[in-house]
Amino acid sequence: MENKVLEIINKIREAKNLQPVSELQITDNLREDLELTSFDLAELTVNLEDEYDIDIFEDGLVNTVGEIYKKLQN
Amino acid sequence: MAIFLIDNTREYSYEMLVDRINQHRNYYPLFKSSDLFSYFENIVKAIITNQSLVLIDSDLNPSELDDLDESKVNESVSLGEYYFSNIDQVISALKESKSEITIFTSGTTGQPKKVIHSINSLTRVVRIGEKYKNNIWAYAYNPTHMAGLQVFFQAFVNNNTLVNVFNDSRSEVYQKISKYQVTHISATPTFYRLLLPFEKSYRCVQRVTFGGEKSDNRLYENILMIFPEAKINNVYASTEAGSLFAAKGDNFQISESNKDKFKVVDDELLIHKSLLGKSESFKFEGDYYHSGDLIEWVDKGEGIFKFKSRKNELINIGGYKVNPIEVEDVINEIVGVRQSLVYGKANSVLGNILIAEVQLSGDIILSDLDIRKILKSKLQDFKIPRKIKFVDSFSLTRTGKIKRS
Repeated sequence: MENKVLEIINKIREAKNLQPVSELQITDNLREDLELTSFDLAELTVNLEDEYDIDIFEDGLVNTVGEIYKKLQN
Repeated sequence: MAIFLIDNTREYSYEMLVDRINQHRNYYPLFKSSDLFSYFENIVKAIITNQSLVLIDSDLNPSELDDLDESKVNESVSLGEYYFSNIDQVISALKESKSEITIFTSGTTGQPKKVIHSINSLTRVVRIGEKYKNNIWAYAYNPTHMAGLQVFFQAFVNNNTLVNVFNDSRSEVYQKISKYQVTHISATPTFYRLLLPFEKSYRCVQRVTFGGEKSDNRLYENILMIFPEAKINNVYASTEAGSLFAAKGDNFQISESNKDKFKVVDDELLIHKSLLGKSESFKFEGDYYHSGDLIEWVDKGEGIFKFKSRKNELINIGGYKVNPIEVEDVINEIVGVRQSLVYGKANSVLGNILIAEVQLSGDIILSDLDIRKILKSKLQDFKIPRKIKFVDSFSLTRTGKIKRS
């Protein structure tokens, strides 16, 4: 799962001409550390939803990579 | 005797049609048939004897329509005595008919709506004369809908031949164009895209008409390679109003005589009720009907305008309004893309997220990122689909437009 999240985030970064990150830390902030805008977060949700059938933003904001993992594990 | 219809390999002359009309003096007010000749025979009989008629699709399940009595489908009604000695008499009777024809919207979205038309409103833009005399039409529309009726009447009153190509494959269409030396084609952009890519040119085709959906310049260019002798035009025909304007290129013109029958409010085209059929589903503001079509003036004084999009098609992406047609146009311009469909999907972050389904042509290899990179140089960021799905085909409505779910 962690690899999949990394892959999706790197693809979003690639589309914005940003360097891929080699690994994700659970404390990484999606907006500040990974430089994702709300449009990028929307893209992230739709791709995770296709993969895991879970809408990570359904009940409020998710800020860090750790919070994404938590949502997907539940 | 002129050929009226070629369907599959069968040929029907106008003489056969007159004979059938005289021999069988009955008709079906609610006729469901997949046989095109019987279908046209029924329409013509109803019209020339001033009967009313409801047109339903051959594959329609009556439960799809609210107020349709299933037991009445294909119930025959006697027409009494009449005799037509030739096709000219039939055509004269047709032109003066007081019949009311009920048709249904195909709806790229939503439930079909019922609209009642007079023969007058259905034949408003039909042209008759020497120069229309020897036309051979590829019949590419569903015959129960407005565009199909327009082509039928145009061909019929000029004793033209109709060659049925509706729902045919690419190779079948080409084979028929060549075999029957088709001169005129009127169809949706979706139909013309089916004919790509260019392999061989067909010089017999003189006129290519686009209708129903928005097309793009690249499609025009490709079609002109296939039909190098053809003149291209657009037609605006709606179930509600029939044909209202003809056009050159992407533009349409409101005629001088109809000038007071249109208004434009907030870019939306409003049509005066006198130009419309009758329907309970129409909502009027004063005497005007909201068409839902957004337009842009090219030359207001001359009444020349172009269509931008459908009003309800705008998608709200995080507060930005996106016109999916505009995005589709840009995607369709990319070399290797045959056709695309752009739509919004509910999303908890932005309200909606933009998705594109893309059909590639032939063995072209393009990735979703390739497409997004190309779009980046042409569109603002919020208009770029965040997900691109590659598809083999699109589902079509009964009139051959791409279905927007």
